[in-house]
Order: sequence, then C-alpha cells, then structure tokens
Amino acid sequence: MTTDSLTLPKLLPAPAAPRAVRQRMSRDDLTMRIVLSLLVLWLILTVLLPLSALLVKAFQDGEGHFAGFANFALYFANPQLTQSIANSIAVALASTLICVGLAFLYAYGLMRTCMPGRGVFRIVAQIPLLAPSLLPAISLVYLFGNQGLAKGALFGASVYGPIGIVMSEVFSAFPHALIIVITALATADARLYEAADALKASAWRTFWTVTIPGARYGLISAIFVVVTRVLTDFGAPKVIGGQFNVLATDIYKQVIGQQNFRMGAVVGLLLLIPAVLAFFVDQMLQRRQSAVLSARAVPFQPRPNRAIDLGFLIVCGLVALAIIVVIAVAFFASIATLWPYNMTPSLKNYDFDNVDGGGWESYRNSLRMAGLAALFGTSIVFLGAYLVEKTRAFAGGRAIYQFLALLPLAVPGLVLGLGYIFFFNAADNPLNVVYATMTILVMCTVAHFYSVAHLTALTALKQIDQEFETVSASLRVPFYRTFFRVTLPVCLPAVLEIVMYLFVNALTTVSAVVFIYAPQTTLASIAVLNMDDAGDVAPAAAMAMTLFLTAAVVRITYALATRRLLTLSQAWRFR
Amino acid sequence: MSVIEPYLTIRGVTKRFGSFTALEAVDLDIYPGEFVSFLGPSGCGKTTLLRAISGLDVQSEGIIRQGGRDISELPVAQRDFGIVFQSYALFPNLKIKDNVAYGLVSTGRKRAEIAARVAELLALVGLADQADKYPSQLSGGQQQRIALARALALSPGLLLLDEPLSALDARVRARLRGEIRDLQKRLGITTIMVTHDQEEALTMSDRIVVMSHGRIEQIGTPDDVYGAPASPFVADFVGRMNFLDGHLSAPNQADCNGANLTFASATTYAANTPVTVCIRPEDVVVRGINGDAGNVFEADVGVMEFVGNHFTTMLHVRGTGLNVSADLSMNDVRDLGVRPGGSIRASLPIERLRVFATPRP
Repeated sequence: MTTDSLTLPKLLPAPAAPRAVRQRMSRDDLTMRIVLSLLVLWLILTVLLPLSALLVKAFQDGEGHFAGFANFALYFANPQLTQSIANSIAVALASTLICVGLAFLYAYGLMRTCMPGRGVFRIVAQIPLLAPSLLPAISLVYLFGNQGLAKGALFGASVYGPIGIVMSEVFSAFPHALIIVITALATADARLYEAADALKASAWRTFWTVTIPGARYGLISAIFVVVTRVLTDFGAPKVIGGQFNVLATDIYKQVIGQQNFRMGAVVGLLLLIPAVLAFFVDQMLQRRQSAVLSARAVPFQPRPNRAIDLGFLIVCGLVALAIIVVIAVAFFASIATLWPYNMTPSLKNYDFDNVDGGGWESYRNSLRMAGLAALFGTSIVFLGAYLVEKTRAFAGGRAIYQFLALLPLAVPGLVLGLGYIFFFNAADNPLNVVYATMTILVMCTVAHFYSVAHLTALTALKQIDQEFETVSASLRVPFYRTFFRVTLPVCLPAVLEIVMYLFVNALTTVSAVVFIYAPQTTLASIAVLNMDDAGDVAPAAAMAMTLFLTAAVVRITYALATRRLLTLSQAWRFR
Repeated sequence: MSVIEPYLTIRGVTKRFGSFTALEAVDLDIYPGEFVSFLGPSGCGKTTLLRAISGLDVQSEGIIRQGGRDISELPVAQRDFGIVFQSYALFPNLKIKDNVAYGLVSTGRKRAEIAARVAELLALVGLADQADKYPSQLSGGQQQRIALARALALSPGLLLLDEPLSALDARVRARLRGEIRDLQKRLGITTIMVTHDQEEALTMSDRIVVMSHGRIEQIGTPDDVYGAPASPFVADFVGRMNFLDGHLSAPNQADCNGANLTFASATTYAANTPVTVCIRPEDVVVRGINGDAGNVFEADVGVMEFVGNHFTTMLHVRGTGLNVSADLSMNDVRDLGVRPGGSIRASLPIERLRVFATPRP
C-alpha cells in the first residue's frame, strides 16, 4: 500500500464543454426580490402613473382625444398666462440671489469664524423649516401690509407683489440653502489654508482661490435648490402676491378657479422643467463633489479674529433677528384682539370652529395625516432602502427602484397633486375609491417627500458593515432576523430622523395636498390658505402658529426623547 | 497508507466580470485539516476565488465540490463554512456572547445548551471574561478572535479567512498569527486564508497557493514556495531575489555579464537561450568557502545598507559586469572586516540557484 500515497487522487471527469454556473436562488433572495418588486409597484402607482396621467392630460382635448400641442399653443397665445413665466423667473432669480448670498454669509460665520453663539444661530436658522410656507407671507402682511407696523420701511412700495413674495421665499428657503452651503464649507482641508499662508497669500486671495473653489459645487447646488423651490412654491404668492401672477398660482387658478384641467396640466409640465433640470445638475455635481473630498484632509479649525468675528456676529445676528421677528409678528398678531388697533391678548382667533376653513377638525386631520405619513412612510422607505442596498444580484429591479425613489425629488408638490387628481379621479380607475379619503393624502404626502427620506436611509445603511448579511447567511440566519435584530437597531437614529422629517413636512405642506383634500379631510395648512383667502387673516395666522408650535413641540420632544432613548438603546455606541 | 480524498475540489473555475477575466480555469485540491493560503498582489484573483468558494460571487464556469458534494450552484446559506472578514463584521449592538450565539439561536437548541457552547467557544479563543461587553469595548485583536469564535459556532467544515489580520497593528498581528494557527490545528478544521502578506502566508500555512492575474503560479509548502519558486513571478513576489540576466553557455551553465555560473542540474533549454538566474541575497556565502565550492568569485564591496539585523551589501564580481546583492550578517561583517570599497570572496552555491528562461518581451 505504500505506493498508493504517491498516486494522485482521482480527478473528476472534466466537463465536456464548460457550462455556465447559475447560482440557485435561496429563499432569502426570493423573498427580497418579491418584496422589492412590490415596492417598485407601489412607487409606480404613487409616483409614475400620476405623473403620466398629467403628461397625457396636457396633450388631450376636452373629449380626451390626442390634441398634440394644441393646449400649449392656447397657453402661449394668452399673454396674461405667459406673463407669469417672466414673473416667476424674475421672482426666483431675485429670491435666489438674496437667499444664497445670506446663506453663504451665515454659513461662513458658523463654519469659518469664532463668533460667539454659533450653536444658537444654528438652531434659529432651522426655525423656518417648522412653519408652513404661508406663515411668513401672512406675517409680512402684518409687518408691511396696508395696516402694517413698518409699512414706511418700504418707502411707499407695496408688499403685495414681487417684494412680498421674494421676502417670504427667502425666509422659507433659507434653511434649505444653508444646510447645503454648510456642508460645502465643512469639507475644508486645513492643509490648503496652511499652504496658502506659507506662500504668503493675502486673506482676500486665499478666500477667492481656496474657499470659493472648495464651496462652488455646494453654492451651485444651493442655487438650483432655491430656484426650484421658489418657482414651484404656491403658498407665498397666493397670500401676498396680490395681482402679480406666477406659474404656481396660475395652476391653482386654472384648476380650482376655472376647472380648466388641461391648462393646469400644461402649466404643471412647465413647472416640471426647472425641477428636472435641477435634479440632473445636482446628480452631476454630487459625482464631482465626491472627487473633491479626500480621506486624508485635515479638518479646518478657525482661529479667533476680533474684527471678522464681530462682523459676522452682526450679519448673522440680523438674519437671525429677521427670522425671529417674522415668527413673533405672526404669533402676536394671532393673539391680539385686533391687530394693530387693540393689542389686548385674546384667544378669540384660535376659535377655529367659528370660522370657515375646517375648524379644529382640520387640525386633528393634519395630526392624523402627519402621523400616518410618518409611520407608514418611514416603514416603506427604510425597507425599500434596505432591499435596494442588500438584495443580491437583481440589478434591474434595484435600478428601477432607485430611479423611482429619486424621481419625486424632481417633481414639485403642485404637479404631483395635480397628477393625483387626473389619475385617481378617473372614473375607469378601480383605485378611485381612495379619492377624497385620508388614504390618498397620506399616499401623496409620502410620495412627495420620498426622495430625501430614501437618501437618509441609504446613507445610514451604507455606513454599517457591508458583511453583516454575508456573516448571517454563513450562519444560516435568515435576512429578516438580521434586519430586525441588527440593521434596524443600528440605524435607529436615521429611522427617527426620517419619522421626524416626514411628520413635520406632512404637517406643514400645502402644495401637494391642495388639490386632493375633500370637505371631510381638510387639513390645517389648507385651512390657513382658505381662511386667508376669505379675509380671516388673524385666524389664518393663528392656525399657522398652531402648526408651527406643534411642529416645534414635536421637534423638541423628539430631541429630548431621542437623547434619552439613544442612551438606553444605544449603549453599545459608547466605550 | 491509502489515498486521502480532497475535502475541497476546484476544477476549471473561471470568473468573468464583463470582458475582464478575474479567474482563469483554476484547478486546486484542498485536503481535510489543511491550512491553505491564497497569496498574491491585489487583483490577482485570490479574493474572487474565496468568494466563489463561499458562494458570495459564484464562478462563471467550473465545478467546486466540498466534502463530496457539488456546491457550485448552492446559495450561501446552503453551504457549510464559517467566515471571518478583515472588518470583523461583529454586530455592534449585540453583546459578545450574543454575537457568538448568533447562529446558534436559529438552530433551535435549548438556551442552556447555547450558553454552554458560547462559553466553550469564548474559552477556546481565550476571551471567556469578555462575554458581557460590546464589540466597541474590545481591542481589534480581541474583536477578531470573537469573529473567529462566531464563525466556528456551528462547527463548519470549512473556515474562510478574508485578510483576517490586515486591519491590526504589527505586534498584535504577529501574536494572532500563532493563535489562529494553534486553534486551527487543535480543531483540525480545513481552513483557507486570503492574504497579500507573504510573511503571514509563510508562517501560518501548510500549503500556499501563489496567484497572479487570475491564474495559479505555484502550489506548495512554505519551504517549496520560498526555496524553490516555480516561476520568476513567485521568486519576485515571495521574499527578495537577485535576478541575474544571461544566456546558456552549457546545459548547466550560464554566462551572466561575463561571469560563468554553474547550476546543479542541466536545463532542457537550447544552447544560448536567454535565461534569468535567481539567488536570494541571504544565500550568498562569504565565509567557510573551500576550493571545490562552485561559483566562487572575488568581489568588490559596493554600497552597504544597514537594515538592523544585517547589511544588504552590493557585490561587484571582479572582472565582470555582474552585480549581486547579498545579506551579510553582523558577524560576517565584523569578522571579515567588510567595508564599502573593500574586497571579499563570495560564493553563489550551486544548489541555491534557480534558472528560468527569460520570457520574450
């Protein structure tokens, strides 16, 4: 037997022709693919089909026949309507210039100087996020309107029109621009500044050759975000626009006022253009921005400089003061007996049940809607992000989901809402049972805010170890157990962030739901609009304040609660 | 002694990513209880081969059999292996004992049974007292041992180690090498380790599979791979090597820049074939050279580089254009008075030379 040890082990018979190996699908793979496919269907239903309905409508005549560009021809033949294009662009450009300029100064103060109170300034800048977009407009009416406190400050110009619109838009868009610019300025590499210093560059030259190039993608991105928001915002021009028509108010007038759905669809498509453009520019920039970042960058630490710190303290102080004044005026107007003649505090403006617009019932509806949207939206968003990140192979399905999840980023709320009417109100759509219910409001709101929530979830998922699923599979543990036992707990902070984001936005949104609410599902934000429309400006301010305070209380409770929750459930984070 | 059947058989395994071939018709047998390392530079296909064996990325073509069963098409969860990653991949929110118990819980064992097994595994890796801590409270080396315990929990037939020590600092790495190898021997578990670190592969493995460009360059014991590299690539990648270009002047002799080098056995190459003669710097002998030792030369001493435990010394063979790098121990240098600009007698031992035909450019 000794020679046997030298014999080579029997070779396997070589396959006649190499056969391609296809891995059998495990039960996990199958489950994940099925669930992801269901989520794709859901997004098709709540995003793609309503949008397509809008698209189809714009090319149909009154009887539903294909009409080519007839509707567009009609639109462009009406100088009153086309004037709105110029108006919208003018307002958007002015607002963007002011808003991004202020955001840059503010962010520079926060990130690159040692001015005192940076923590407070950061918090104050977030305040506009909590207010419905109608609130600053109402507040500005109280400040600069016909009976305004500071009417003289406008030197005779009227706040009703472009001036008022620009001011409110700057207020609403400020935190959105700020967060982008802050991120851009946060990625500074101290080594570049030290090099500039060593080469004896002046502060001014360093600013233009190091700071601005480092932040340029962020600035461009902020510009596009603000332009899109202003072009598609409907609340401010509705309240303070007066006779100054813009595209967003045109849609509303065509659809609600004149029941001219086709013309509404045409304007909706026009509004889609800048949003889609901004979407693609942003995608492109993000790809470049990531190349700018280097893992070995040394974080920049600002050094105290009395003059600069004081200068930025004054600028940031003024901006923060303006934000606080806008909120404060709305608050005091809402609790004054009759602004500005009788300033005795009173709660009579909060007696919503005696004013048209939906009463307190609409507030309860809002809470319910926001709660449902947060609960349901977070579940579906996080599950979707998890599956898109972790499903093995299935590249096609994942790409489609990813596209559909980012699509809402390019769709203004008004346009989506309009699409919902066309799609869900169609007589031959079996899904039209949801029309005029709470369900459709929740569906639309979740769809409207889907992308940002999706990106938040995706970022969190990308930060955890990519091998958890492999380890689980090798230990023969099914994926859903790892999902609930590990992935979800580890991502809890991001999940709560998404809950918060959806809740606050659902509470304050107007544009996405203004077309699809029904008498029994009026929302508080819509009530603000309707009360203001009917001339009940003080109750409108009171309702807007109610929403603002609710959002603020929820946000603060959340901050305190999560701190406690995180220390309890996230003990593992601390050594 | 009878034939030992291989535990893992790999035949004709090819992996393509689009038009790029990451693995080309790889054949390999791994025997029960063996510790085998896949060694090579990044992009050589070692990780791809491991991922094919684990089922994380199945091969495009070819067969993989484990324990007599064809696993080529099986999904990950139906294969039988434990895996340890460079990143440890410990679940951060679970305590150490829950990490180790992770795979046990879903096997439906009793709680007491699981606790006993966890205790046994933790004792095995020497961390019995850390059961109630979280991963972030442990050092990197400890975390990697926990990952190992977790991978062993279900007593898998095969243990896969994917660059397990690369994230650790040098001292811990050296200690853990020995510990992993000990554990593997005690358990007798068939183990495959992917690494780009030759020292790791040389110290831990029963056999080393050296890979390059999706192909296997050499399979052999650490001794074989180091002492008798099968190709210039292996000679270059593992350890340091003098590559001396020349051409055959006789079947067992080559003329390298005017110096005639004799090797132990005749080559089968035609006369005048361009060849590369390899010798490791530490194989150059400078003392105790007697008359009949082959390849003895008088050399001028060139640049001497102090590397701590020896001098890397450049020797210029007198009367020729041949330069050879030699590692001279501190003793050699002291006793023989070697200094730059001096001269020395050196031998390139016949049995230490390896000869390869120079590939045509």
